[in-house]
Amino acid sequence: MLPHAEMVHWAFAAGILLVGLCLLSEAIVGQEVWQMRPWRKYLWPGIAFGMGVLLWPVMAFFTNSSIHMYAHGSWAEVLMLAGGAELGLVRGRLHSPLWRLTWPLAFAVTGIAFIVHEQNPWFFARSAFLHHLLGWTFLLGALIPLALAWRPRSAALQTCFALTIVAVSVMLFTDRDVAPIFGHLSELAGPQHR
Amino acid sequence: MRRLLLIGVVALAFPAAASAHATLRFTTPAFGTKLQRGPAQIGLHFDQQVKVLPGSIKVLNGVGKQFALPARIEGRTVVADVRPLKLGAYTVRWRAISADSHVVSGVWTFGVRVPAPAVANAYGAGGPTTTEHLVRWLWFLGLALTIGALGLRVICLRGLAVPRELERRIVVAAGLGAVVSLQAGIAAFSLRSEDALQLPFGQFLYGDLSPMAATRFGKAFVVMTLGFALVLALLYLAWLLDRTDLLLPAFVLSLFFAGGLSWSGHDALDPGSSWKTAVADWVHIGAASVWIGGLGTMVGLVWYGAPELRRQAFLNFSRMATVLIALVLGAGTYLSIVRLPHLHDLWTESYGRVLLIKIGLVCFALLWGAFHHFVVAPALERADTGFLTRIGRSLAGESLVGVAVLLVAAVLVDSKPPPRPANAPTVQAVR
Repeated sequence: MLPHAEMVHWAFAAGILLVGLCLLSEAIVGQEVWQMRPWRKYLWPGIAFGMGVLLWPVMAFFTNSSIHMYAHGSWAEVLMLAGGAELGLVRGRLHSPLWRLTWPLAFAVTGIAFIVHEQNPWFFARSAFLHHLLGWTFLLGALIPLALAWRPRSAALQTCFALTIVAVSVMLFTDRDVAPIFGHLSELAGPQHR
Repeated sequence: MRRLLLIGVVALAFPAAASAHATLRFTTPAFGTKLQRGPAQIGLHFDQQVKVLPGSIKVLNGVGKQFALPARIEGRTVVADVRPLKLGAYTVRWRAISADSHVVSGVWTFGVRVPAPAVANAYGAGGPTTTEHLVRWLWFLGLALTIGALGLRVICLRGLAVPRELERRIVVAAGLGAVVSLQAGIAAFSLRSEDALQLPFGQFLYGDLSPMAATRFGKAFVVMTLGFALVLALLYLAWLLDRTDLLLPAFVLSLFFAGGLSWSGHDALDPGSSWKTAVADWVHIGAASVWIGGLGTMVGLVWYGAPELRRQAFLNFSRMATVLIALVLGAGTYLSIVRLPHLHDLWTESYGRVLLIKIGLVCFALLWGAFHHFVVAPALERADTGFLTRIGRSLAGESLVGVAVLLVAAVLVDSKPPPRPANAPTVQAVR
């Protein structure tokens, strides 16, 4: 028995919100204060890596279409890669700052996968609208971690990065399977439920 | 270039201008059911309204005769009446237009007073292709690299002063094998589904894979995917935290989850199979993976990366290989006897001929290994650097033969063994 799709979205929204709030806290208080407790520097990259691992069951169990399977699989891989690279950097295992480019890569892959695997139009239903919005947020948002790779100390970029991730989590929380968007619901989508 | 970029952006912005994706919720009868009499109707229940096409639902028997009448819409359900069905296995192929002209498709099977065939054996499925052989070979290579690299580290290099750099390289090699296993598993599952669905790639992307996921192969794919994702996470943590103690659970798990291939292959499903054949197949795969992957890792990483460990690693590996070869040969011989009850099957059946090639390659590798075991190992004590370098090349040659064995094994696994002869009447029955 599989959980409803939106429940899986909400579970991952909770993890992403936690990552966003950690990043926002770090941006507000500064890296030196944030890292006064040694475990804190591992917190958000660890959550990101863990979510990557947890996306594999989503990939394996939600096989209602090939494109969904590939989208979930690509998220699992890029999240493990980006979270793992960040952990490697903070741990001192990796040294090249170019590893931070895994984040814009993860954003770009995630954005394209969101847009490509959602085959309904923007105003078909709320979930379709949010999938398009999430896709474009990730695609355009990829510019922020890209800039951060060159300006890692920029408080403005760090804040933008954190807020983008918080916004993504809010979008995932508002995602529901068949629900209207701005009062509109395509008759093809069927009656609203849940 | 600018035009291409523009087209890409527009395609992403309006992907749904010509498509909207309906999802099949459930079917009547359900996937893979055994019915006592033929259903009067076939029903496809979607999450949204769809439109029917000519031939939206086809019910096909083993020779492709069609029994379904034209389909109609009832709410969000597509229904087709079915002519009376006799005893036998049936394939349902369906397609429907969901919102804005997008075609969604799928396939499933059921049986009337007989078990439903696996969806991979649905009417119209063509069987494995060369691409599928190559993907399975990659899968075997990935498994061998992960299991072999970890086996070498936790068994042959146990207790030795392994340099930190070599330690990391072994973990990276094992991780690379796990990534290859994951990707090859996804590709193998996709190819098997594509064959069952019999759809062009564009339509396959929106094909329903649920019936395939419900097969033994699909379940093995799910379990192995989750298992190797866990192995990958463990290997990553071992690399990140310098925790070599995590390599043992990673080795045990990867060996355990490699059993998914045995659990979903000929030796678990074909007539004559039992839990013994499935276990023998698992032992065969596991031992071969440790042998071939371990040898490759020793040549690639230890021989040239840590020359001070060459002698001891070689001697330890040589001892371990003796046990592994005994397991490979024992399990392989037992399985060959079960699959090919007559000796002449080896040259009269295509499965037997592929098996003969594999046996030939294994014998070649064994002779090479015996040379290393009985000639090279005793001479290692007084060996100079030039001798050791030449031995490195010889070991690389043996590894390549092992890689070739895996290729033939991939073709063999995708081949169909000959049907078993009917059981001879027992003495009591004759009386």
